This record gives sequence, C-alpha cells and structure tokens, in this order.
Amino acid sequence: MAASKKTYAITAKTFALLLTLVLLVIMLFPFMVMLVSMFKSPEEIYHIPPYWFPKTPTIKNFFLVWNTIPLAMYFKNSLIIALGTVLLNTGISIPAGYAIARLHFPGKKIIMYAFLVTQMFSPVVVVISLFKIVIKIHFIDTYLSVIIANAVFTTPFVIWMLNGYFSGIPKGIEDAARIDGCTRVGALWRVILPIAAPGLVTTIIYTFIYGWNDFIFSLTFLQSGEKWPLTIGLYQFVGRFAVQWEQLLSAAFMAILPVLILFFIVEKQLVSGLAGGAVKE
Amino acid sequence: MGDTVLTARKRGLGGEAKLAYALLFPAVLLMVIFMVYPIIYVFILSLFKTDKLARIKDFAGFSIYASLLSSKDTWVVIGRSLIWTFTAVAAKTLFGVIIALVLNVKYMGRKIARLLFIIPWASSIPISVMLWRWVLHNEFGLLNHTLKITGLMQNPPVWLGQSSTAFLSCLWVDVWIGIPFMALVFLAAMQAVPQTLYEAAEIDGASKAAQFRYVTLPGIAAILLIATLLSSLWTFNDFNTIYILTNGGPAGSTNILITYVYQNSFEWLKWQKASALSVFTFIILSTVSVIYSRVYFRREEM
Repeated sequence: MAASKKTYAITAKTFALLLTLVLLVIMLFPFMVMLVSMFKSPEEIYHIPPYWFPKTPTIKNFFLVWNTIPLAMYFKNSLIIALGTVLLNTGISIPAGYAIARLHFPGKKIIMYAFLVTQMFSPVVVVISLFKIVIKIHFIDTYLSVIIANAVFTTPFVIWMLNGYFSGIPKGIEDAARIDGCTRVGALWRVILPIAAPGLVTTIIYTFIYGWNDFIFSLTFLQSGEKWPLTIGLYQFVGRFAVQWEQLLSAAFMAILPVLILFFIVEKQLVSGLAGGAVKE
Repeated sequence: MGDTVLTARKRGLGGEAKLAYALLFPAVLLMVIFMVYPIIYVFILSLFKTDKLARIKDFAGFSIYASLLSSKDTWVVIGRSLIWTFTAVAAKTLFGVIIALVLNVKYMGRKIARLLFIIPWASSIPISVMLWRWVLHNEFGLLNHTLKITGLMQNPPVWLGQSSTAFLSCLWVDVWIGIPFMALVFLAAMQAVPQTLYEAAEIDGASKAAQFRYVTLPGIAAILLIATLLSSLWTFNDFNTIYILTNGGPAGSTNILITYVYQNSFEWLKWQKASALSVFTFIILSTVSVIYSRVYFRREEM
C-alpha cells in the first residue's frame, strides 16, 4: 500500500513535470522566438526556410536599432507617461482611499459602487468623447492628455486596493498619534502611510506598468512622433513596408524587460487585489 | 482627558463627513470630467449628425439606432464579440485550471515554472502582440516552421491571410494573454483549500478525480466565478490584440465590437455610428457588471 502510494506520487510528479514543459513551450513560444531571433543577422532572420538557432550569433541589433528608430526618445516618453500617471494617480488615490477606509460619511456606498462600475468600461468606448474634450481644452498631442486618461482608468482599482491596506491598519495606532497632537492629515502622512508602504509600492508599480503599456490613448492623442512611447513607436515600426525584424525584436526585448522585473515584485499582491481579496496568501 | 477625546469625536461627526468629501474631491472630480461625462457625451453624440471633425450638426434622434439594428453588419459584429468572449474565457479557464493543477503538484522547479508561466501577462501586452505578428509570419515565422518539422501540421495555413484562421489567431493570442491570471488565481485558491479535507477524502477512499470533483472544485467555485466574470469583461474589451494583429481584417472579418467602434470613429470618421455602437457596448457591459456586482456583494455579505 505504502509502496504503491509512493510510485503513484512519483508518476504524478513526472507527469506534472512533463506537462509543465509542454505548457511552458506553448506559453513562452513568442519569447523563445524573440530570444533566438534578436541575435540573428538580416541574412539569417530572412532565410527561407527559417531555422531556430542563429549560426553566427551577433549582438549588433542591440546597437543598430537606436539609430534605425529613435528608441531613446521612445524610452524617455514611456518613462514620462508612466511616472506622470503614477504621480497623478497616487496624488488623488491616497486621500480618497483613506476617506473610504477610515471616515464615515453619507453616500459612501454609492461612491464605492460607482468606482466599481467604471472598471467595466473599455478605454475605447470613452476615447471618442475624451478625444473631443482633449481637443477642446487644448491638451491634444501632450503627455498630459495621456497621463490623465491613464490615471483615470487606474484610479478605481488603486483606491480599491488602498482601501484594503488602510482598513487593515489598527485604528488604535492612529488614535494614539492623534492623542499625541497629530491632525488627521498629519496622522495619515506620518503614521498610516509608512505602515501601508508595502501596499503603496504595489499600487505604484501597478500604475507604472499600466502607463508604460498604454497603447490606445497614446495612439489616439499623440499625433507627432516626438511624443510616442515605446508601444506606439514599435507599432509604427512594425507597420512599415520593410521592417528590420531582427532589430525590432531586440528593441522589444529591451522594452519588455523593465516591466517584467517590476511585475514579478508585485505579482502576488496584484493577483489577490484583482480577485477582490477573495484570494489571500 | 478621555472625556475630551470623546466629545471632540462626537462634535466632529459633521466635520468628518466634510473632511471625507474634501479628500474624495480630486478623485471624484477627475472621474466625473474624464469618465462619467464622456460616457454621457457618447450617448448625446449618437443622437446627432456630425461632420468629419466630430462637430455636432443636426439633431437626428434615434435614427442611427434604427439603421444599426436593421443592418446585418451590426449583428454579425455583435455575434462575433459574444462568440469571441465566450470561447476565449472558456479556453482561459480550462488552461488556467490545468496549469494551476500542475503547479499544485510538489515537484522540483515548480517555483521557477510558476514564474515563467506569468511572463505573457507580465510583459508589455501591445509588444507581445507584435511578437506574435512575427511568430505567425507566413514565410519567416518560426511557428509554421516548427509545425512542419515536428510533423504537427504538414501544410500550415497563412494564419493572418484568411478570415477563419485570422480570427483563430487573434482568439489564441487573447487567450494566451489571459491564461496566466487565471492560473495564478486558481492556484492561490487551490492552495487555500484546507489540506485536512483531502486527507479526509483519502481516508474515505476517494480517487484523485473524485477529490478534484468534490473537494477542489467546490473549494475554488467562488473564485472561479469572480475570475471568469472579470475575464469576460477584459476579453470583451480587448482592443490591443485585434487592432495590432489584424486591425479587424482581412475585410473586417476579425472585428469585434470594440475594434469596430474604433475603426468607425478614428479611421472612417463616422462619429455618430461609432457613438451608437459604444452605447451598445455599455448596454452589454452593464448587464455583465450588474451580475458581477450582485455576485460580489452577495459574497461580501456572507
């Protein structure tokens, strides 16, 4: 009995491992293609029939691409949009999250419900009116238009997450600070925020990634190429008649890497936050 | 001392509400101007004829709705959106459960495997979709080459060249992006199921399949519901995949409602029609969101 159970466990493990490998090949397929192809020369990448591994690997693409497209500028623009989104979002979400977590006021449920409902809408369905608003207030072709749009779309989820973090902090700590002469805002700043810092980092990284990956707002609002972020810059490059794919893939690799690293830091909190706190780890 | 704090708090109740509104003001203001107002405005825009710059001209009433509802194209796109959402969410759930089950087995390297499985979700999605364009490339793409040399497919199709395979390709890329979230949520849910339940089932002589059916599934049912509803919204709203991969082509055959709205507005400058189509998506999404919030709040009350 014990022996058969052990064999069963071993077979289950082997089976799980094999299945994992197959599934990983499927899930990582485009990245594997990217990883081998970005080391190919144009002659190798445009060879018929194609083959997987470069015969004479080269790192030239990583240097050439900066001149083929204004990659440094795209990086700078992505950074401005992502950081701007973080600043605006955090600035408005912290007070709002605190109010919902800690204060009693009429209409609280309605506001929370309204925030939840906005999560259902795609940027695409409001982008038409947003476009008109952005033109009217002369924000067209500015970073600010994209930053505001991204901040608006990340705010409900961030307030939702912050509400969770703030609610988890014992009220006694805040009361003690206030007895010691702190105002409410002072207590929020000096007591609550430092305690909620790990949660805050999660929401900041989430917002940064959201801004970094923005596609639709930049596509619609940013008309001059000098303001394009990486997503749009690379998309326009792909749309050209003759694309140097070997260079594009090396640029894609460099564009993906920063968000990938950031994502791994917050992944667990993000999953539990998105599942509405249904999953606690 | 205790007394003064107490009275201060009692007196402060009105002040507390005032403070709350002040703290909420910036967020609410921004949401109203850039989210609520645009939603209302889209509805207004659908009632007027517009010029190419989306300026309002003549009042047209609900005429655009009548013509959209009697047009076959509209129904084809709506139907495709629903098929798209349903198929993709079903596939994401299935793959998600399989990956979660596999990662729940304690073998060496599963922590690394878990990290690797997240990559499609964690990397920049628009850029990942561009990678797929290269992978699916007819002549130079490594997908068809690999399918040929492994014998999985002798004559792989030109994936993005014809309607049916182009739609399948978009569907797959959307599924591929959505799988990691599902897998992670299910895995976390499975790990939260008390181990003692499995031990009890084992003592009762339940097979692994029976354990999955009677312990694992009920244990993750609540989360399964939330995750699939969330995923339905994201899938229905997925713009990037189709826009970047095919831009709705060939000949509009891969358009779903969301990409159709964008095409009608920013490419064909038919603002009134695009607005009315947006209203359709509101109606569909609101229906889903009502179900979602009902389920969510019922769970909260439990």
